[in-house]
Amino acid sequence: MLRTVIDKEVRDIVTSTKFAVAFGVCALLIIAAFYIGATHFKVSQEQYEASKAVNLRQMEGVTDWMQIQQHRIFLPPKPLAALVSGVSNDIGRTVEIVGHREITARDSKFNEEPIFAVFRLLDLEFIFQVVLSLFAILLGYDAISGEKEKGTLRLSLANALPRSTYILGKFIGSFAALSVALLVAIAIGCLLLPTLSISLTGEEWGRLGLIILVGLLYFGVFLGASVFVSSLTHRSSNSFLLLLVMWIMTVMVIPRASVLLAGRAVDVPSVDEIDAEKATLASQLWEEFRADLSGFKPSSNSQADIEKTMDEFNKYMDSLTTLRNEKIAAVTDRLNESRRNAQVSQQRLAFDLARLSPATSLTLATGTLAGTSLDLKGHFLEEALAYREGYYDFMEEKTGVNMRGGGMFMRMSHGEEEPDPINPRELPDFRYQPATLAASVESAVVDMGILALFNLLFFAGAVMAFLKYDAR
Amino acid sequence: MLSTLVQKELRAMLLSPKFVATFAVCSILMLLSVFTGVQEYGAAVRQYETSTQLSEQQMRQETTWARMTTTVLRQPDPMQIFVGGLTYDIGRWSGISTRNSIKLSGSTYSDDPIFAVFRHIDFAFIVQFILTLFAILFTYDAVNGERESGTLKLVFANAIPRARYLLAKCIGSWLGLVIPICIPIILCMLLVGVMGVSLSAVHWGRLVTFLGISLLLFTFFIVLGVFISSLTRRSSVSFLAALVVWIGFVLIIPRTAVMAADQIVRVPRVAEIEGQRDGYAKDRWATFMEESQERWGSRCSLEELDESERDTELWNRMQEEDSLRRIVEKEIESYETRLQEDLRRRKAAQQHLAFILARFSPASAYQLAAMFLAGTDISLKARYVDAMTAYRTQFNDYVEKKQAETGSTGGVMITMSSESGISITTGRDDVGIDVSEVPRFSPPEYTYVAAVAPIIPDFGILALATMVAFMGAFIAFLRYDVR
Amino acid sequence: MNEQPTRETTLRLEAVNLTKRYEDGVLALDHINFAVQSGELFVMLGGNGAGKTTAINLFLNFLEPTEGEARINGIASHREPLKAKQHVAFVSENVMLYGNFTAIQNLDFFARIGGKTDFRRNDYRDVLLRVGLPEDVHDKRLKSFSKGMRQKCGIAIAILKDASAILLDEPTAGLDPKAGHEFVRLLDSLRSEGKAVFMSTHDIFRAREIADTFAILDRGRIIMQEPASNLAGKDLETLYIQYMAGHNNSSVAAAGGIHA
Repeated sequence: MLRTVIDKEVRDIVTSTKFAVAFGVCALLIIAAFYIGATHFKVSQEQYEASKAVNLRQMEGVTDWMQIQQHRIFLPPKPLAALVSGVSNDIGRTVEIVGHREITARDSKFNEEPIFAVFRLLDLEFIFQVVLSLFAILLGYDAISGEKEKGTLRLSLANALPRSTYILGKFIGSFAALSVALLVAIAIGCLLLPTLSISLTGEEWGRLGLIILVGLLYFGVFLGASVFVSSLTHRSSNSFLLLLVMWIMTVMVIPRASVLLAGRAVDVPSVDEIDAEKATLASQLWEEFRADLSGFKPSSNSQADIEKTMDEFNKYMDSLTTLRNEKIAAVTDRLNESRRNAQVSQQRLAFDLARLSPATSLTLATGTLAGTSLDLKGHFLEEALAYREGYYDFMEEKTGVNMRGGGMFMRMSHGEEEPDPINPRELPDFRYQPATLAASVESAVVDMGILALFNLLFFAGAVMAFLKYDAR
Repeated sequence: MLSTLVQKELRAMLLSPKFVATFAVCSILMLLSVFTGVQEYGAAVRQYETSTQLSEQQMRQETTWARMTTTVLRQPDPMQIFVGGLTYDIGRWSGISTRNSIKLSGSTYSDDPIFAVFRHIDFAFIVQFILTLFAILFTYDAVNGERESGTLKLVFANAIPRARYLLAKCIGSWLGLVIPICIPIILCMLLVGVMGVSLSAVHWGRLVTFLGISLLLFTFFIVLGVFISSLTRRSSVSFLAALVVWIGFVLIIPRTAVMAADQIVRVPRVAEIEGQRDGYAKDRWATFMEESQERWGSRCSLEELDESERDTELWNRMQEEDSLRRIVEKEIESYETRLQEDLRRRKAAQQHLAFILARFSPASAYQLAAMFLAGTDISLKARYVDAMTAYRTQFNDYVEKKQAETGSTGGVMITMSSESGISITTGRDDVGIDVSEVPRFSPPEYTYVAAVAPIIPDFGILALATMVAFMGAFIAFLRYDVR
Repeated sequence: MNEQPTRETTLRLEAVNLTKRYEDGVLALDHINFAVQSGELFVMLGGNGAGKTTAINLFLNFLEPTEGEARINGIASHREPLKAKQHVAFVSENVMLYGNFTAIQNLDFFARIGGKTDFRRNDYRDVLLRVGLPEDVHDKRLKSFSKGMRQKCGIAIAILKDASAILLDEPTAGLDPKAGHEFVRLLDSLRSEGKAVFMSTHDIFRAREIADTFAILDRGRIIMQEPASNLAGKDLETLYIQYMAGHNNSSVAAAGGIHA
């Protein structure tokens, strides 16, 4: 019996014009998203390699490691980030390593190339979030009320067919038909990646698979909601209107409104204020430092001990700098800490509110899985910080000077023979390690659970409503 | 006769159950967007003011002209309440110093990426996404819906010219949708007033033009709905068609246009440009250092001078070096300007192409126009970079002049000589400096003409698209089979 | 333009060699000829797809004739559609008015586009009462009306237009006997006012009650056309059913009188 209902449902959907058009558009868009993502990734990859090469080239010919004034590391592009861009275009991608200052990432893609910010990007997540959900509504809004209007509902229920079987069949049939169709389009898109010579690691394939699974769960939420609403209403035009309003609310309003609300509710000190405080402190300490420097007294003033004096001076300066840096670091850490805490509580509030809408869960889960979630910035900076430590160690090894102090030394020597230039390639390479798959899944699991819950909720709701549905 | 038909359309519109629901949603959203927009603007203004004060304070705390730098900020524009545009994507400030060129950094989205997750919702967004959707929701069955219900036959059993009927349909739907939408718009304006945002006459001019073009987009989608409905027999088909067209216009064309333009015109990444600059700078400095060493070597020995003369001579030499250093800095600067110029040209070409492609969709023409009117468009960054660059020259010249006057160089000089051993000088005595006459940065002027000139093509596109849709509806309806 | 000759002699509706061939080649009407005078009630009988609705569509210029003319008050409707349509009212098979409008609002709209702009609420009330709709439903929305009520509204609209000819397309289909009877009475009163009434139907019993002239249409051709008086004693039902069953030409011919 169930099979017959499912059969009929699948056939009904697959032969409809609606399905043909919706599927055609979706397939086109999904494939386009994969294609655009792939080519975009390739361009970013080229640019990334070019930037890295340029960074090394500008060090060429330098004869002393001490003379390196600029060394930058870059956030490498990831193929998954091209499919689920998340915040990857909004945060800075370049970090300056040389110097002792606090590490900051700058040159966000949207700031450097605002043209992409004008209309934003067409990525897989956007298609799932906006287009597929709309089509889910379009395909499901008249699931019950439409059959009632056509009169087929009465005919079907005139038989010894339990209502629960009927609605279960409807659910399974429509979800199966639509998700298989979607998977076909996605599979074509995935096949496009190797064709465009983009290789994903096994882990990345796993992540992509999970992203697609999240997308299907999200699609299921909207399909379930459509069936639910259509079994609450008796006219399909009403159910469509209701669903459309719901769609606007979930996709466009709730997420944005929650973030704005949380932004109002939790006050996060602005970067400028913190920067200004830091700058004031640094400038005061610099004055002190200058004054303290004059306090240096060499142990002996004789010419013979010049080397010794220099060593002493270096030590003296080092100790002063370390002191100064400790003071700065203490204040900076405190300021950053308070800002970060405020940000975290703001973020938690925003997302908790926004999770009322399944669109939020989709964005957060796919972002986390693709490594482009809100954590990307912090993670990148942490990695950069770790790299800088490694860089200091490297430099200390090369030059014997601890660069952490931030002192700049210019050795002027006369008449000596020209030393050999350094080889910039000896510099340690920056390898960005994204969060592990396990960690990503762990933080995405909440949102996946929420999506699954929404699915269940709407399914249960639809069954309940349909059991009491007035089929006349 | 026409008025009877228009009246009927109006009444049909107002009496339909979807009307109340949609306008409630629209009104709430519009008011919400303006409310949060005003709050965001207020926060931005506060941040701007504090930061400006802080940078002022920092200047005052500085003790020597030599190390005088400052920070200039992008001023928030009240129009960002309605059209956020690129405000949150583009950096808010730039440092002003001799060494570094202007670079806007610290965009809202990069400082607080939480807002970037879902972006902001503003008035232009509501018009572009929601009003247009509602426009087609109300008109997709304008003609074929009446055919399906049989009223079209009843109507044309009378002596009604088709042209007049269609005209009435368009006018009626337009009035029925536009008049109600004006209510929340007016409420929004009142809200802006009540919440104490002061708008200048130029702002009002831009705002009114913006509202006008918003209504034009709305009109286009209304007429488009009528057009699609007079091309099709069944309202379910026209609904699907209208929705697909909507998705194409609003969601797809704009986004793909930029991607396509990016594929066609390549623009080097900033890091590449900076790398080139750094490479040049490195070469230049290397030469400078060589020359400098030669100069030190060729100068007469300090040991021939007595103590006081030596000190003066040393400072003089350092000043000489300093002025030479400045020349090198200028050279590097002009080299960078050339690079930036080239980058800009290529970016402009890419942008030009992207916008031409995007304007195939009236929705993106609208979006571009809205951004231009609000001054949150793509040239916002260039405007500020230009103004700040001009200011930088002004500022640096002033500081240089002052520095020459006071002769302070700052810095710490450590000398080690075989005779006197090590000696540390922290420069001449610091004199308190007066920063009151330092030139101040004034944000670039954005006049009404500057805002309106670039949107003329968009205006034309929207008007043309509306005309085409209307003519199309007209022709299709004259041949429409009313049975 | 409108000359008002005496009622008895005036041809209100005329089909002259009226032919319609659709684009797909189907011949819906094949050179049919008939005429309806003022004060006459002409009934066109025929099964589904016989071409009855096509004939009405040709009178209303919803279709262009392939050959021949449909004339209203002597005006060929495909030549001067707007002029012709001033003289005709139309009641469709399933009157679906604007569901969100009340009966009065619907009447007002259709009266106005029918060229009658000076009616008051009282006039609408009177006409609705005349067609048998009680006053308490006048301000109810049409979507709550039953089919019979909607048909009554349709006829009220036709009455308000006060045209000299009325076209009715299967007006009694789906009405209960009482409603059907009331409907027939209304048509009778309209005829007595001198309207020319053309009604297509396959409801032979209703037709028999009031028709002045019968015609049977089959596959685009009129296979029988007789004044009711000629058929007074004959078994119209048998005739029609035989024809419906497909024994048309021979048996009808046997029953007598084919006017091609």
